[in-house]
Amino acid sequence: MSEVLFFLAAIAAIIGAVGVVTLRNAFYAVLALVCHLVSLAALFLLLRAEFVAAAQVVVYAGAVMVLYVFVVAYVGGGEEVAAGNGLRFLGPLFALALAIELCIALLGSALSGINSQGAHYVLGFGTPAHIGRLFLTDYLFAFELASLLLLVAAVGAIVLARRRRGLEDENPALAALIAQPRPAYTGTMAEGAGVRQVLQALEETHGGVIELGAQPPKLAVGAERSGDEAQEQLP
Amino acid sequence: MIGLANIDYFEPWWMQIAKALVIFGVIFGVLPILTVYERKLLGRFQHRYGPNRVGPFGLMQPLAEIVKFALKEPFRPRTSMGFLFRLAPAISIMTAVGGLALIPWGNVQDIFGTRTGLYGIDVSVGPLYVFALGGISFYGIVLGGWASGSKYSFLGAMRAAAQLISYEVSQGLALVGVLISAQTLSLTGIVNAQRGMWYFIPQIVGFLIFMVASFAETNRAPFDLVEADGELGGGYFTEYGGTGFVAYLFAEYVNMLVVSGMAATLFLGGWLLPFGIHPPGWVDPFVVLAKMMIFMTLFIWIRATLPRLRYDQLMSFGWKILLPLATVNLLVTAIVVVH
Repeated sequence: MSEVLFFLAAIAAIIGAVGVVTLRNAFYAVLALVCHLVSLAALFLLLRAEFVAAAQVVVYAGAVMVLYVFVVAYVGGGEEVAAGNGLRFLGPLFALALAIELCIALLGSALSGINSQGAHYVLGFGTPAHIGRLFLTDYLFAFELASLLLLVAAVGAIVLARRRRGLEDENPALAALIAQPRPAYTGTMAEGAGVRQVLQALEETHGGVIELGAQPPKLAVGAERSGDEAQEQLP
Repeated sequence: MIGLANIDYFEPWWMQIAKALVIFGVIFGVLPILTVYERKLLGRFQHRYGPNRVGPFGLMQPLAEIVKFALKEPFRPRTSMGFLFRLAPAISIMTAVGGLALIPWGNVQDIFGTRTGLYGIDVSVGPLYVFALGGISFYGIVLGGWASGSKYSFLGAMRAAAQLISYEVSQGLALVGVLISAQTLSLTGIVNAQRGMWYFIPQIVGFLIFMVASFAETNRAPFDLVEADGELGGGYFTEYGGTGFVAYLFAEYVNMLVVSGMAATLFLGGWLLPFGIHPPGWVDPFVVLAKMMIFMTLFIWIRATLPRLRYDQLMSFGWKILLPLATVNLLVTAIVVVH
């Protein structure tokens, strides 16, 4: 039974991995990667590492790949980027180097671990308690280092994605675009719901919001009406 | 013996199969009744009768609905991706049913002379198993919305992606308080650790966070803007009719049942009764079922009471209120347990 499961999961993992690199459609490639990761989780289960299997599914299939799917579904595959001449030759070269390296590692060490008995198994191996104890004793340094790395990554993401101010100072065309009065109810949700402060702020900065299809200077109505009335005027 | 993880099966193989069949049968017997229950209760909340035409008190309504859905013409939009369009509801219902295996209905009992645990499986990773299934069930929703090839479905699916990721974190953190208190991940172990006091009392903050996040995870009102009939015409299942729609509908109800079961197990003491009452073993599953029904009623009550949140409110509530609250709850619990 476990042999059948192993070959099912292994074949699915290989098909998924091949699919990631061969499929042209980016969305399908991401789905193939999900299939690969879930199959890996099944292999972890067969190795009696249930915590690693659950973490694999929760973190990779459930969180990381969700973001991939999100981005690819929104942005779409787009145009295929043709590889430059350098990449066209370097790519297979790197792949070959990686394959040779893996072969050396496999043939050199891992094969000796394969025999009819398999690895030594102790009761409680792979349970959360076992893993937690190892994290806080033998591998404490690596564990803390990894959490520090994650913290740096989180701070870095926030710094990179922060709202940048002062763009319009250098770019007069952009500044003119921002300064243009917008049609009413096309901006923020607060404006759409008729929040008075927002309407007043629009009034001060842009000379009022304008109704769609109306003359801009005549009907700067946003600030005069209260929020609820402005909402009722929506078509 | 299957070498699949450390699940601790001690029953013979026929008992495992019987357990799976009984759990599946009971839940899928309860499901149609739940749909009628929800519609009748909603009707009462809104000063109407609800379904009352088919059978006594309208109880046969689900039979009529099932026949209606099964006989509908199977159709799909020309822009849909055939394979994924059919696969997506199947993913949803399978992951939902998988979660049922984890709910503990009772302690280990003697049935026909064999020791039997009244639960599908008792895994050492406990709630993580449910989170893993939840992570996969997300693909049922997103693939359904994407493969439909319609803007409404797509918007619903994208909302689902953002919403699930935001609230899963808070839900997980709220659970960790219970796990620290019980010092085990096994769900039967957590129930047995509540013999002195249900975690509902010391972990009241965690309980509230868990319930709010569960409403968001199951896409129920007031967090149902994934479906948002008014804006999206149903969201990710807009283009589904007939059996595909039924699969999504049942997946939602099974998810609600699983979440109710988890809440009853983690916070309301599972099959335990208060005031030191120790009924015979066969009562335990009914106690769990009764506690689940309390939560199901809460789900329906809140659906009838609260209006839908706006998308930006949903996001800021999840990240700016729930997540810090869950973190503080976890820290306080950890400090209390250690000292």
